[in-house]
Amino acid sequence: MNLGQPRSVSPPAPAWILGAHWSLAASFEAAPPDARWRQALAARLAERPRRLGVWAELGLHGARACLDAAGLSGLPEGALVRVASRSGPQSATHETAAHAARSPDGMPLPFGFIQSQPSLLLATLCRWLDWQGDGACVCSRALPVTWRLAQSEALAADAPALLLGSVEESGDELATRWWLLLRTRRE
Amino acid sequence: MRRYADLDWPVHALWPKEAAGAGWLAQARAWVCAAAAQSGALDGRRAGPLFVASSSLDIGLRETGLDWDGDPHAFAEAVGGWLDWRGPVFSVCNACTSSAQALLAAHGLLAGGEHDEALVLGLELPNRYTVAGFGAMQLLSERAAQPMGAARNGLLPGEAVAALSLRATPARWRLAGGANVVAGGNPAGIEAGALAQAIRQALQRAGVAAADIGLVKLHAVGSPANDAVEARVLDQVAATGVHGRGRCAWVTFKPALGHTMGASGAAEIALLSGCLAARAWPSLDYAPDPLLAPRLAEVPHAHVRHALLLFAGIGGGHAAWVLSDEAPT
Repeated sequence: MNLGQPRSVSPPAPAWILGAHWSLAASFEAAPPDARWRQALAARLAERPRRLGVWAELGLHGARACLDAAGLSGLPEGALVRVASRSGPQSATHETAAHAARSPDGMPLPFGFIQSQPSLLLATLCRWLDWQGDGACVCSRALPVTWRLAQSEALAADAPALLLGSVEESGDELATRWWLLLRTRRE
Repeated sequence: MRRYADLDWPVHALWPKEAAGAGWLAQARAWVCAAAAQSGALDGRRAGPLFVASSSLDIGLRETGLDWDGDPHAFAEAVGGWLDWRGPVFSVCNACTSSAQALLAAHGLLAGGEHDEALVLGLELPNRYTVAGFGAMQLLSERAAQPMGAARNGLLPGEAVAALSLRATPARWRLAGGANVVAGGNPAGIEAGALAQAIRQALQRAGVAAADIGLVKLHAVGSPANDAVEARVLDQVAATGVHGRGRCAWVTFKPALGHTMGASGAAEIALLSGCLAARAWPSLDYAPDPLLAPRLAEVPHAHVRHALLLFAGIGGGHAAWVLSDEAPT
């Protein structure tokens, strides 16, 4: 099953990779994603992921596709995951706030609130990438700065792999980019 | 304590009345600047990384203006501007493990020699959104937080601004080792395996045996189910020495602070170091659950050299830290 091949690319290793320590195993870009990306993701997972919200679902789509590009069914044990986003789960936040504003008791829907938390994507990746470990949502002014921090953390933790993803949602505009780095073992 | 006018649940509040717009921003700035100054971080070059860790960032400001668009990280940049911070600014949004995770990132940078100072700010600023969200999930108590209590029935949210200044140079308090483990089986609760893994990793990274832990700072928020899972994990790890009932005391700060969500890592580490230094402990005004924490009200007697601190949050986050007191005994 392909995941919208036209947007799947393997560019040269970005300059922010600390080449002495890491090698680029795979990357995936969907900016914007193919129009049928949600159907493709459901087909890839053999079921439709539920109650995630668009932002987390898009992140899962990108992460899954990146691992597929690397020929991996799941993340290696001990891998670190870092997700960056300037938008966060925007539509889930809007919908949660809007529902609370119009409901008589001023309360949001519980699943809407959880979907508005970026950390839901981390739990989602755990479930669907057969992984449990150090994951975080971190952001800075520029992605290379965030990814440098992530590489430092992964080195400090002696992690064998590092999965990096950016997930953006602005109105109807969606974009996600992922990179899988593997630790270069020095003899 | 304060309540939002249309909500049933009390909140441990930073400021007594609801504030909107410029009033909210001015109060937030005053609290952040005061906390950062108290931490000592503003006495340095301010050139290391600044981590702004929060589950809600500036949503309390945006909700009062009904401005839900925008870049959440821009608020972290603004906080850096308030402090005249010259180093890189990171925002960490890992729900209730945000500042525990940010400390891990800062710790790694200092250990790797890339920086010799860092500031971690745990912020949970007033906002109705979080309270209503946790209320909708039926996780809140309408009375009081009673972590590991016999009559516990939910958590109380807490607002907090906490600043931890980290330096590479030796100091009395040392963050000896920490770990962050995310699991996917129960995004709204504690998973025993993940919490146990976080504890073991933190101990291993700290180079401390479980038997050397003299005090456990609980994550427990007053949840009927999750508190029991946490107690069970501590009992299981007890096989290797951390034993809340037999070998060391447990302490909880949430009756005093509330659950300060993303700020809890920084806030509770700061408070624990203060309690250890002063040998002053919060009193417990409720009965602990005899099946979970029969000794919760006891004050640790001996000098605590190593304390274990636990944190967990929505999104499957579990974190553990070992805090060591380097003062000569």
